[in-house]
This record gives sequence, structure tokens and C-alpha cells, in this order.
Amino acid sequence: MTDPVLALDDLRLTLAGGAGPVEVLRGISMQVGRGQSVGLVGPSGSGKSSLLMLMGGLERPTGGRISVLGRDLAAMDEDALARFRRDNMGIVFQSFHLIPTLTALENVALPLELAGAGDAMARARAELDAVGLGARTHHYPAEMSGGEQQRVALARAMAPRPAILLADEPTGNLDAANGAAIMDLIFALRDRHGATLVLVTHAPELAARCDRVVRMADGQLAPEEAPAEAATGADQ
Amino acid sequence: MSALALRLAARELRGGLAGFRVFLLCLILGVGAIVAVGQVRAALQDGLAREGRVILGGDAELEFTYRHADAQERAWMEDRAAAVSQVTAFRSMARLPSGDAALARVKAVDAAWPLVGEAQFDPPMTVEAALSARDGVPGAAMERVLAERLELAPGDRFLLGDTEFEFRAVLLREPDSAGVGGFGSGFGPRLLVREAALAEAGLIGPGALYEVAYRLLLPGADLAAEKSAAETRFHDAGMRWRDARRASPGSERFLDRMATFLVLVGLAGLGVGGVGISAAVRAWMERKTATIAILRSLGASAGLVRAVFGLQIAAMTALGVTLGLALGAGLPLLAAPLLAPVLPFDLDFALDPRALAEGAVYGALVAALFALWPLARRLGVPAAALLRDIGPGARAWPGAGSVIAAGGLLGALAGAAAFFSARPMLALGTVAGVGVALALLWAVGAGLAVLARRAARGGLADGRPVLRTALAAVGGPRSEARAVVMALGLGLTVLAAIGQIDGGLRRAVATDLPARAPAYFVLDIQPDQLAPFSERLAGDPLVEKVQTAPMLRGVVTRLKGRPAREVAGDHWVVRGDRGVSYAAAPPPDTRIVAGEWWPEDYTGPAQASFAAAQAEELGLALGDTLSVNILGREIEATITSLREVDFSSAGLGFVLILNEAALRGAPHSAIATIYAPPEAEAGLLRDLTRAFPNITLIGVREAIGQVARALGQVAQASSLAAGVTLASGLVVLIGAAAAGEAQRAREAALLKVLGASRRTILASFALRAALMGAAAGVVAVALGLLAGWVVIDRLMEAEFRPALGPALWVVAGGAGANLAAGLVFALRPLAARPAGVLRAP
Repeated sequence: MTDPVLALDDLRLTLAGGAGPVEVLRGISMQVGRGQSVGLVGPSGSGKSSLLMLMGGLERPTGGRISVLGRDLAAMDEDALARFRRDNMGIVFQSFHLIPTLTALENVALPLELAGAGDAMARARAELDAVGLGARTHHYPAEMSGGEQQRVALARAMAPRPAILLADEPTGNLDAANGAAIMDLIFALRDRHGATLVLVTHAPELAARCDRVVRMADGQLAPEEAPAEAATGADQ
Repeated sequence: MSALALRLAARELRGGLAGFRVFLLCLILGVGAIVAVGQVRAALQDGLAREGRVILGGDAELEFTYRHADAQERAWMEDRAAAVSQVTAFRSMARLPSGDAALARVKAVDAAWPLVGEAQFDPPMTVEAALSARDGVPGAAMERVLAERLELAPGDRFLLGDTEFEFRAVLLREPDSAGVGGFGSGFGPRLLVREAALAEAGLIGPGALYEVAYRLLLPGADLAAEKSAAETRFHDAGMRWRDARRASPGSERFLDRMATFLVLVGLAGLGVGGVGISAAVRAWMERKTATIAILRSLGASAGLVRAVFGLQIAAMTALGVTLGLALGAGLPLLAAPLLAPVLPFDLDFALDPRALAEGAVYGALVAALFALWPLARRLGVPAAALLRDIGPGARAWPGAGSVIAAGGLLGALAGAAAFFSARPMLALGTVAGVGVALALLWAVGAGLAVLARRAARGGLADGRPVLRTALAAVGGPRSEARAVVMALGLGLTVLAAIGQIDGGLRRAVATDLPARAPAYFVLDIQPDQLAPFSERLAGDPLVEKVQTAPMLRGVVTRLKGRPAREVAGDHWVVRGDRGVSYAAAPPPDTRIVAGEWWPEDYTGPAQASFAAAQAEELGLALGDTLSVNILGREIEATITSLREVDFSSAGLGFVLILNEAALRGAPHSAIATIYAPPEAEAGLLRDLTRAFPNITLIGVREAIGQVARALGQVAQASSLAAGVTLASGLVVLIGAAAAGEAQRAREAALLKVLGASRRTILASFALRAALMGAAAGVVAVALGLLAGWVVIDRLMEAEFRPALGPALWVVAGGAGANLAAGLVFALRPLAARPAGVLRAP
């Protein structure tokens, strides 16, 4: 693969637990090319979300190397990582993680403002329109349903036009109809803006919509499978 | 109250006290402060009662002004008493042969002094050794400050009038400090001599200003009966009676006022604590949402759930009040060494039931009042709603029962304040004032939130993420603005008010006054000295102006033909004796505003010129009569003119001036004011005291300095009391900051995800804290300025100019305190890895 967006080499993560250190990731090596979509599947506790956190620079590896867009994340300090995310990444969480004191519009505008965009509010409004929430710009997160909150989170992640979109079980807290609508939006936005997508999911049919499916178990990668195979049971 | 409720409440409390830290601290501080003040008051009152005989110097004291008792009067006293001692008090100048001189409060005692208690000297010696004549020179003891000013060592000699004395020892403790010449008897350090030695000094002549007290030992006597016998015997003889039952009414009054004031400040502190209690109960109830919902869904009645949570609050209140009582009982023991040097008796700190009850009742009522609302709001939510929304949102209108209960508690609090306080109206006013101030601060907090929201919506924050997130925290959902402004605002308001009042008073006394005041106030100028005195000063080029006036002291006994007290109540003009003067022509600078001055050669029935403002206060008009008792002689005069008198300039100002013929025959002295620049003062003092050994010079600059220092001390004591309010406020702030730590950690993690640097996040946290703290400071300054204006402009009728320094300090202090609390609890959220925070549920 030429010029990978994400390059992981023998990546390891050990966290301190109540009963001693826990090896969460045990030597992960993989690469993701520009514009690719990768579905990350596996049972609970297999290390999917932790791997995604490492890709986003939200966690630091205890071993191995991780390079994103050619930059070694381990070499960056907290602030450099924040700037790197601001300029290159959008992240969507299962629990939405909107700032409760900001309205929908302000939540979406915030990363643009942090990047110094002069037209942050106008772009945020357009982004909310794109996810069907043009009428709810001045609502606070607590005044919106889970589905609406996740659409705001998606608009926020996509607003700066990131090269990489990381999504951690974005439909995990939603009912089937809302979940499907969110996934349609994610793939539509990715197709429109050509971002590289890494999607952590329990749902095999969602993983099957990706270009590649990577299965994890016990902190390690299983041999890759074709998306069609994955559709039969992402979680087994 | 069922056993089940008790059991369930006990199980719930097994979780520990973690959620109740702020609740307990607020209660402990407030109750502790109130009890501590009550304990000190009780100990002082007890001391005054116990040591009444000692601090008065006998069982009873009969005091005469400007005269001694005659032989018959003295015989009457000796008939009734087991022992009699005579003390004479006046002001004079202690001089060195070199010419240096210093003002002293002289107390001349007889051989029987002290009848009760003991005097202490350094080096230790008997009264006899300190005061008796040695080699024909009488001895003297004085306060250390006087000895140091005159640079006297034991054995050195100095002059009082024309008589030489030998300084023998420093006077450390005078037992009868509440008697004549004791507390509040004016400026100057004490000088103790024998009365017999004064005979030749020529200081106690006709017209001199002195007081003589006779202390009686009356073992086993009925003091009330003795008092009435003395008042009958000395009717119209100008005798004042005091006895050991109330040896020092002035100290008692001062103590009562100070204690009332301090307890009320403590109550204000408890009010601020109430804000913390309310916030703590709200947070605790939010954590208990699931428990409440589950209890309800398992079939617990609303009453049972209320009982379970009410019992837990009651248990915590009991714990907080108990610890507060312990703190309040213990604190005075620490304060005792500070009080000991200024008290004429030892303090005995026994537990005072009244002080303990006062603290406990206030604590319980405030805790119940402030816990009731958040408790009721949460318990009013239906179980289904709680289960649907297990989170912080669900709250309900607490219902009419809770409103009535809150009203009842508020009424009980006001009733308790009125019951416990020596001044019920002041206490009720304080409770109402704290309530209004809290409501106002709440409104300002709410207004700040609305402003912040509007500013963010109005585009002020566009493109400014630091400002956007800060304004959102101030104005968005679950804003801390109200709690922070209330918690910090009340304490800062008390501080700001003290700052403005203190600043205003000090400026009036220490800056404005010296610019207009004379350099010296001169007493005891004998009539035959007046001409040489004036001549001497007229020849001094440094002296700018000299004013002299004859001076007598008299008691206004009747106004408009009725007893003065009946007409004027407790007005200062009729309280005790006042300076009275006479004049043929209006003194220079006199402005007559009504009526006419008498002809210069007038010799008819006595006429009076009265101060216009005081006449208005007393309801006196031209043509009204008044009687004044001067040296036992009753003079009735008709008011024929009213004058403007400026008492604030420290110049010569008499409320009452009579025509010359009415008073010329009475023995009297003259007083004078000398206006001169500071550099002339030392020379004048030396020259005049050498030329006229009997006169007394009071340095106005020094007196003003003493007043300014005394004001400073009162302001310091008040600031200390305000500290309780502020400390409660800080506990509430820290509690709020600690409670918001998890929320801040989440926000910091999210901002990092979105690309914010740590500096950006820290700036946002700091900005919101400073905004809320500064808002509290601005309200406090506004209320402080109002208080300053009311006291200085309205009550004291002086010009009020805002003290900008203290005002800025209060605003900066408010912002700084909240900033510090906010930032301390922002450090952990800032340092945390985003993944760890966001992974948590």
C-alpha cells in the first residue's frame, strides 16, 4: 500500500487495573489507505475502542509505533496532538459527547472556531442542515433525542472536513431506525468528502458496508475477511 | 416515623459522609462562630458581675463634679460604710524641667486606695512604696507609654503643676478601672499620685475640671436601698451613684452591642452556609435518583421515602450542629490569651447554655430551611419519570405543604433571632437583610447567566472559542452563576461595606479634619492667665489664630419647664454634663440663624443662645425656657437666638452660650484653641507649659490619631467577623468547584478531542470563574457603597466619597477567590487523558 493514512506497527497498550496491569492491545500491525473504509469488529473487551482511541491520539501506546498521515503520534505532546486532531480528524462516539452547555449550532461551530475559521457559524449551520437539523440549531443537547444528538455529533465531526473519520459504535445507543439513518449519513458524508473511515461496530451489516473488515479478539487482529463474510456475524 | 424508615435511612448512610462534606463544613462554621461569640459574651458578663466590686473599687461609688464632698456629706458616708476611699481624676501635663511635657490622666488617691483588689507595678512594690513621699518628694506611678514618652527611669523626677514628683514604677494594672477616670474617660495615659501631694500643685482650684469619687465598702448592705438613701441625701447636689451590681454600665452596653452585632454577622455567615447546604442536598439527591425510583417502584409510599431522606438530613444536621457547638466552645479558649491583657479581670470559660442553645437552634433551623427545598423538589417527581430519566434533570414543584413548611421555618428563624438578640428589631432586620441580599444576589446570578447567553447568541463569542465555552458555562444549562454569586457575594458585601464605612470615617477623621482643626485644645486657663496667654501667642509669628472662651460645665435639667429627660429622652445634649460658655458679644465667626443676640451690656433675666441643629432635634424654639445646673446652682434662661455650630471642626463649639451677667460670677476657667502648623507644635507645648504650669494642652493631631487607630481596630474586629461569612462562602465555592470537577474533566477531554490546546481550555475555565467572581464583587461593591453612603452621608452628615482602593480589592478578591477555587479543581481535568475520561460512563 503506497502512502498509508494510518500505519500501526506492533502496537501495544497496557492499562493499570484494580487487579494489576491489563494487556488491552497485544501487538497490532495494520495499514489503512487514503479514502478506505475499515470496519473494526469483535466481541466486547477485544480492544476495538482502545485501538480507535490510539488512532485518534486520545490514548498513548505503551509499545510499538503509530503513524497517522505520516506523523508519529508518540512524538507529539498533548497540545500538538490536539492541533493534529483539529486539522485532520473527526471523531464520533457512542455516547455522543456533546458539550451540554453549548447549543447544537455552537457545538458544531466549536472545532471550526478552534481552527480559526472566520465563517464558523455559517458553515456549522450548513452542516446541521445537511444532517436534517436546521430547525434545531438553538437547542441544547438535553433538549434533543439520542438520534438528534448523534446527528449533531456527526455534523461536528465532519464540519472541518477531516481527512480521517473515526467512529466508535456510533449507533450503539440508538434504536434500529435511528441507527440506520445515522449510518446512511456517515457513509453519505464520507462518500461526499472522501474521508478515510474507521468504524468500530458490533453490527455485522454495518461492517459489511465498509471496504475492509478487521476482526479483533483478545487484543489481537484475526486474519482479515471479505466484507460479505463479515456480514454473517461480526461479533462471533 | 417508622422503624423501617430508620432502618432504611441507616443503611443509606453506610455509604459515608463524602457527599456531605460541604453541608457539614457550612454548618460547623456558622454554628461555631455564633457559639464562640456567645461564649465570650457570657464569660465577659460573668466577669463583670463577679468582679463588679473590684472594677468599681468598692461596693458603691458617689461621684461629684468639680468639688469635694463637704464635711457633713463625708460624715454621712462614713456613718454608713465600713470604709471610705477618695479618688480625684483630672487631666494635666506631666512636665520635665527641660520643658518637655506630655498629657496625662491623673488619678489622685488616698491611703485607703484600693479598697478592693490590688494594683500591680513594675518593679513589683506596694502602693505605699510607689506613692509616698521620700526625702520630701512624693512618688508617682504611670503607664509605660507615658514614662517612655518622657524618657523617665525609676528615680527620675518630673513636674505636675509646680510640684515635683519622683517616678517610682510603671503601673501595670489598676483594679478599679471602671470607676471614675476609668474606661472612656478620655485621652492620655494614666498617672497615679497621692491626693495629699496635689494640695500644693495648684491644679485643683476653682474652675478646674476634675471629678471626685468616694468609694464605699458596704458589707451585707442592700445596695438598692443604699442607692435610694444616697439619692435622697444628695438630691440636687450633683451626685452620681454607681454600685457593684452594675459596676460598668458603659462596658456592659458596649459588650451587648458588640456581641449582638457579631452574632448577627455569624447569622449572615450561616445564611451563606445555607446556600452551600442547599447545593449539597441538591447534588446528593441527584445521586440518589435511582434509589428513590427503585424504592418507589418497589412499593414504598411517598411518606416513607420522605422519612428516609429527611432522617438522613436530620442526622447530618445533628452531627454538624454538635461539631459546631464543640468548635464554638473551644475557640474562646484560644482567644483568651489575646483578651487577657486588656481586661481588668480573668475570664472563666464555662459552657454557657444560652450560647449553645442559640447556636444549635440557628444551625438546625437554617439547615432545615435550606435542605427542604431541594429535597422536596426531587421527592415530588413521579417514580416513572425518575426511572425514565435517571440523571440530573427531573425536578418538580414541591407542593403547597413544602411552601408552608418553608414559611414556618423562616418564621421560626426570625422568631429565634428576635428571642435571642438583645435588640430584636436589629435581629429581624438582619434576617430580612440577609434574605433580601441573597435574593438580590440570586437575581444578579440569574441576570449574569441571561447576559452571558445573550452575548454568546449575539455574536460576541463568534470566532472566540475561549469566550464561547466560558459564556456557555456561565449562561448555559446547569449554570453555576447563581450559586457562586450568592456564596461569594454576601461575604464580600459585608467586607465591602466595612471597607467603605471605614474608609469614609478615616478620611473624615484623619484627612479632612486635621486640615481644619486647631493644633492644640487648651484647658484650665485661669481668668488671670487669659491676658498673658493671649499676648504670648499674639507675638508668635507661627500661630495663625487663637480663640478663647470662658468654660463651665453644666447639666441641662429642664426644657420648656419639664424635666429634660422627659422632653429629650437620651439625646446627647441632656446626657451628663456639657460645656457651657458665656459672652457679651457674639464670638467671632458666629452665624445667628434666628432671633437676636443680647445687647453687650445686658444684665436682665438670663438669656441663652442655642445651637440651631440641636434645638431642632430637641423641639426647642425661640422663647422656650431651659434650666442648667452649674456647680449646684440652677439657672433658668430663655432662648433668644439660634446659632449654626460646626462640631466637626474640633474648634470651639458650645451648644449653649448664656449672657455674660448670668455666669460671670461663677468660678470658672477658660479654654482656647490654637491654630498653628505642625512644625510649631513642639515649641508651643514647651513654651506654654513652662509659662503656665497649671494649664493642660491636648494635641489635636495626636487625639485624631488615636481616634483613627480606634476606628481601625473596630474595622479590624468587624473584618474578622465578616471573615466567617467569607469563609462559609469559600467553603461553598470550593464545594461547587469540587462538585463540578467531573463535568469539567469531561469538557476538557471533549475540547481536546476537538483540537483545543491546554492553554485554551485553562483560559476558558479561568475566564468563567473570573466572570462569576467579579460579578459577585461588583454587586458587593454596589451594596457596600450604598452602606457607606447611608452611614457617612445620611447618619453622620459628612461628605461621602467612595473609597476606590477597597472597592477594587473586593472585586479583584471575588474574581481571585473564585478563580483560585476554579483553577485548583481544573488541574486534574486538564491533566487527564481524554480516553480515560470519555470511557467512563
